[in-house]
Amino acid sequence: MSLIVRQSLLQLTVSIVATMTVALGAVAYLRRVRAERPAIGTFNFRDVATLLAFIVVLPMIYLGLPRVWLTIFLTFTFGSALAIGLRPLIRPAAMWTVIGVLIGANLFVARTMLGTQAGWQLYWILVGTVVLISAISVSNLYVQGGMQLRHAAWFTLLLAAYDFYFSQVVPLTPELADRFQGYPLNAAVGFRFDVFNAAIGIGDLLAFGIFAAAAYKAYGMRALRLTLVFILTFGAAGPSLTPLLLGAFTRGSLNIVVPVQTWFGPPAFLLYCWMRRRYGPERTMAEFLRSGDVGATRSSVPARRLAAIAPAAQA
Amino acid sequence: MFETGIRQFRMAMAMLNGRRIKPRLIHQLIADADATLGEFGSPGDDVDDLLDGPFADPETRDHFQTRGLRHTARRLATRSPFYAARFAEAGVDPGRLTLESLATIPVTTKADLVDHAGALLCRDTSPSLSTRTTGTTGRPVEVWLSRYEAELWPAMAALSGLLRNEINHDDCLQINLSSRATAAVQHDIEVCRLVGARSRALGVLPVDQSIDSLLDARGGSAPTILGTYPSYLARLVRAAQRRGLGPHDFSLRRIDVAGELLSQAVATGAHSTFGVRPSDTFAMTEVLPVSGRTCGQHHLHVDLNMGMAEVISLVGPRPAEPGEVGTMVVTPFFPYRDCMPVFRYDTRDLVRRLPDEQLSCNLAAVPALSPILGKADQAVAAGGRLVTPRDIVEVLEQLPGAPWPAQYRAAGTDRGLRLTVTPSTLAGTTAAELAARFAGIGIECIVDVAASDEPLRSVRADLLETTFTADAPVVGLESIGA
Repeated sequence: MSLIVRQSLLQLTVSIVATMTVALGAVAYLRRVRAERPAIGTFNFRDVATLLAFIVVLPMIYLGLPRVWLTIFLTFTFGSALAIGLRPLIRPAAMWTVIGVLIGANLFVARTMLGTQAGWQLYWILVGTVVLISAISVSNLYVQGGMQLRHAAWFTLLLAAYDFYFSQVVPLTPELADRFQGYPLNAAVGFRFDVFNAAIGIGDLLAFGIFAAAAYKAYGMRALRLTLVFILTFGAAGPSLTPLLLGAFTRGSLNIVVPVQTWFGPPAFLLYCWMRRRYGPERTMAEFLRSGDVGATRSSVPARRLAAIAPAAQA
Repeated sequence: MFETGIRQFRMAMAMLNGRRIKPRLIHQLIADADATLGEFGSPGDDVDDLLDGPFADPETRDHFQTRGLRHTARRLATRSPFYAARFAEAGVDPGRLTLESLATIPVTTKADLVDHAGALLCRDTSPSLSTRTTGTTGRPVEVWLSRYEAELWPAMAALSGLLRNEINHDDCLQINLSSRATAAVQHDIEVCRLVGARSRALGVLPVDQSIDSLLDARGGSAPTILGTYPSYLARLVRAAQRRGLGPHDFSLRRIDVAGELLSQAVATGAHSTFGVRPSDTFAMTEVLPVSGRTCGQHHLHVDLNMGMAEVISLVGPRPAEPGEVGTMVVTPFFPYRDCMPVFRYDTRDLVRRLPDEQLSCNLAAVPALSPILGKADQAVAAGGRLVTPRDIVEVLEQLPGAPWPAQYRAAGTDRGLRLTVTPSTLAGTTAAELAARFAGIGIECIVDVAASDEPLRSVRADLLETTFTADAPVVGLESIGA
């Protein structure tokens, strides 16, 4: 079996595990956990534009920052993302301990243990844990904050163009992948096996988490099933196997940087259009919470506040 | 979401630093709040903090109130000729004003407002709209509002009304306020416009016309909110009862009353007739936009975001002690009051300062006073105690004949209260029984009966606005092709 085939198979495995963990994790979190939200504010298209602006600007900051400042910046960013997701689940003291241990272990392993295969694998497990929890948390922050499937569909479509441009025209994404590789708090989920190293970025995982959670919120289980098929096909399999067919995505014999959202964005947008036509208007968050698609919930909102909210939500 | 966060931050900064708040900013927040309610069905988790402010903690409350006072006093010292002179006379440095030193500044009276209206206008503002008190409690006072105030107050009210579910775009507000209460009427209409609700400004019409309007379900246009005076509400209840109407005939979900005393009897009558217990609110032209809400335990909670309320003893210029009755003195803060501000305005509304204990009501996060007990000049010293208008109104309006709004004249004697009532007040009861009811609450009372049912006092329901078609029903949306 050629090197590129073995590399692609490892990439496929990593992508399937990561995308399904984030998509299903985001939906499970949406079903079970109620995140805090501000008194006023719901997600709209201007927020999509703001998000895209961040997505364009942040990589440039990552590339321009000195290594020490980049690590500090990433520590703050991942610490905040983890706190968003863990706050409703565990007490503050335990939460900050968990976050401290996760980030501390990341820093330690990245600095001391990357000389061995086992060290690399531990590095990816630690990095992956942080990235997966962060992607699930942030996707829920947006979807529970009012992001709808139509926002998610446009978001992924615009990401598709962004991803293509910044991987094939201006090689920002490959440069970014190189800058993170082997350093703490790598913004990707990956694994190393033998000489092969495969990873999928947090931006892609966040897009899948958002789309899956928004689809489930909008139309329930029927939409989620279709979405998972699309994520597996166009988010995991397509990009992972592309280098077998197209040499444009390989660097040397192994190093592969495929614009995942370029694969996923257009089909995902068409899927949204089809669901909109087939299932009608999507549910609001209030309608979702009243539906049978919500499990027994945990909430960071004090009980007295929930009691006040409940009658209005049932109105 | 991001934009909304920035807008909330800008609003908070303006409030904190005492800078003018752009009404457009609040208009945008109203749209944001409407979208939030559309998506979630309710506001988010910290809405109480946003609306009521951080006033549950006494230290924080004192800090914010002191800041508000200083911002307001500093501006008045440079822009208001009246207060520049007053602060100078009192030897007060506005920048160092404290809650304790506040008492050195004399209260502003209604006479000051009437006699020095020109000197009370701030130099950097342009008067745009004048509003006059109705004069039911004395000489009318004219208060000028700037365009900024006329835009800001309804915007703030619309935002809090939306978030508290007091009004939304499905509502129709029937306004039975005097057409001369221009600020209040303009305010209500503008609130409706901002939240997308409908408004019917009817004025103080003959009550049957207002009842016809409340019944109007054609085209789904029946009012869901009623805003009026307690005395007019009392007459509406009586009219509805005469016509055999009950809760199932109306679409009301809220009744707001202000400007007079609302008795328990009228509140209960409104509840059983319209299916809604009225919300008794405090609002007064002179101290706008400061307002107050009444909680489930009948406390009055004044909105401390927009101003400060003190209770001044009736027996000297000092703060009332816990449990003591005094008059409520209100200072609206800048940037909410702009054109013709007042500082320590003595409303002459009697309230009792509550004991310094932790409240347990639904509005416990906001400090409270007793409900308004009536105007100080209508209270009487009788038999060694103070008898307030509320003491009298509560007893009279509980009588079997439901003589609403209560008609009486009170005088104090050494032996007790001397009360004159109209003959119809005693329908179904006797003067002796009425005296016994007063004795039951510790007031010795001699009851006199007037020769006729001529009114013995003025109420706002008497500001009647006649029409040429007294018997015609109010035209609904359907009939005008809407």
